Amino acid sequence: MANFEISVAHLYGNLMNTYGDYGNIIALTYYAKQIGVAVNYHLVSLGDDFDADSFDFALFGGGQDYEETIVAKDLKNKADQVRHYIENDGPLLAVCGGFQLLGHYMVMADGTRVDGIGVMDHYTINMHEPKLTTLNNKRLTGNIVIKNNDTDETYHGFENHQGRTFLGKNERALGTVISGNGNNGMDQTEGVIYRNVYGSYFHGPIFTRNGNLAKRVLATALSRKYPEVDWTEKLDQIETETF
Amino acid sequence: MTLKSTLARITAKSSYWLLHDVLHRGGTSLPGKLAVSIDPNILTKIQQDFELIIVTGTNGKTLTTALITRVLQAGGYTVITNPSGSNMIQGITGTLVTAKVKPSPNGQKPVAVLEVDEANVEKIAAAIKPKMFVLTNIFRDQLDRYGEIYTTYDKIIAGIKHAPEAIVLANGDSPIFTRGDFTNERKYFGFNHIQPADYNPTVAPINTDGILSPTDHSVLNYDFITYANLGKYFSTTDSFVRPKLNYQVTSITDLTPKYSTFSIDNTPLRIEIGGLYNIYNALTAFAVGREFNVDPEKIKTAFESNAQIFGRQEALHVDGKDVIIVLIKNPVGTNSVIDMMVTEKDDFSLLALLNANYADGIDTSWIWDAEFEKLHDTNIKAVATGGERYKDLRVRLKMAGFPDQAVYEDLTQIVTAIKSLPTDKVYIAATYTAMLQLREQLGAAGYIKGGF
Repeated sequence: MANFEISVAHLYGNLMNTYGDYGNIIALTYYAKQIGVAVNYHLVSLGDDFDADSFDFALFGGGQDYEETIVAKDLKNKADQVRHYIENDGPLLAVCGGFQLLGHYMVMADGTRVDGIGVMDHYTINMHEPKLTTLNNKRLTGNIVIKNNDTDETYHGFENHQGRTFLGKNERALGTVISGNGNNGMDQTEGVIYRNVYGSYFHGPIFTRNGNLAKRVLATALSRKYPEVDWTEKLDQIETETF
Repeated sequence: MTLKSTLARITAKSSYWLLHDVLHRGGTSLPGKLAVSIDPNILTKIQQDFELIIVTGTNGKTLTTALITRVLQAGGYTVITNPSGSNMIQGITGTLVTAKVKPSPNGQKPVAVLEVDEANVEKIAAAIKPKMFVLTNIFRDQLDRYGEIYTTYDKIIAGIKHAPEAIVLANGDSPIFTRGDFTNERKYFGFNHIQPADYNPTVAPINTDGILSPTDHSVLNYDFITYANLGKYFSTTDSFVRPKLNYQVTSITDLTPKYSTFSIDNTPLRIEIGGLYNIYNALTAFAVGREFNVDPEKIKTAFESNAQIFGRQEALHVDGKDVIIVLIKNPVGTNSVIDMMVTEKDDFSLLALLNANYADGIDTSWIWDAEFEKLHDTNIKAVATGGERYKDLRVRLKMAGFPDQAVYEDLTQIVTAIKSLPTDKVYIAATYTAMLQLREQLGAAGYIKGGF
């Protein structure tokens, strides 16, 4: 029996899980199990309360346009709790649509503007926006490699998005694009780091292909709940999957 | 017929003859291309020769089309159909203009049963008014190529709108087919094999799409689910329910990897292929047959006397081992294959092969939405992985709880791989281009006759 446990919230996991995002939880659970930590999974969806203080990690994945508009409406009711979770240094991975909806707004390919909850300072315009200086009217699709400037780690993944995201104040990129397009194809940024929030356009999913990042976020979540244990040291002793 | 369309037809037929009978090469695209270049309206001009049925959807098009063909033939119709893979506009044009249409033995108009790629439905329906649209299912499939499920359905609807008189015969178990603002008559087929006393209200697993009610966008509940998001759904917030079914599976007797027995509208049937999803294909063909007044007993005979049409799930022998090859290409299809493996009574090994070329889908993320964890419910004894993206698949299966895997980076070792597995029965699950490479290797080693 595991002596330790963490609670994971999968935000709108039944609607925003279009690109294998659940794999991030599979990877997190895989590493947690090896160091004696149980992971309790909770789906938090339409109409459900998100009680920020009950969770040690949250995943907010990507979805199809239709589902994303439905989720955007419901998310407004959870905005205060999500803000509380983030400002309280709760670890969160937001992918694609989830990443977009934490920001101010996103514009779909057909021009429909969907309001985010603005708990983070980025915004997303669409591929037809004239202010784009490159790759206008094209989806950004393909393999991508980035380098995390804080840690020098390299991350591999696959991007497939039409939206172009621009980071705001107090936000820094998850990494600098080495190959591929990243947030907008223009400024070489990919994803976001803000407090303990990691945002990204990476599918793959990012934790499965980049075990170093998965372990870092897991250590953050565990250290927040059980500060007396050296989680990084424990995680350093198990094999990391990167490919 | 005008001189132009006659010339177009003659040209197509002679190029077909040249390709097939002289050069012995397959394909109907070139004859189609030639015919259209001579007479762009050729399809419209030949439409009075037959009734058209368009079969479309994500999974099951090919087998469903083959089954409908046999069912209608059993009912005395002359049937024209397109070869698997020729499901876009040029291949279809080639099929139609080169077909020799004889009168139906039953005195009815001949029928063209065409498997049509979702994005090509509108082009075909604009040229020829179909009598019927048959919609199998819409699942997420290679997002980098096809896009989202509602976008795919919109493309099909654009075709349906060209033929308001056509019947839309759709899978009623799939909530998406209750959507769409077209006025055509709709008929539905689905599963009703579970008695109300045994209903077990549930929601769809999180890794499925298309689970929102078209009325108020609430998450649908189900009395039962057959697979993925298919089943008997209802809304908990309003009166939206699955539409009344015109044709239904009334019982399932036996599910095995090699055959299934079940009843449709109380007619007992057997098909020589495993997998619940294949019962949907049979149900679809049954429904079309009944719409064309084919007697249920004749449909039964059509299913049972044409075992070879189920040949896509290939079985062969490699030095005493029973090898079964299955195609995997998206999460729902892969989960269906795993469900079939749950019905396997013998011990078996799995060799899983992943490529990510254009035809496979270049994004491998989908393997994380397939529930490989469920393999623990089967008699699986060993797992091996391979293909160009063996690294992805190795980690996927490792994280699913299969840490010990033989890994084959190179498919030239495939025969060695098969022989090294510990069981007499071996399932090989491969993506499209991995399957082609696999067949080439097995052909070269003499295990598949005539190469591939």
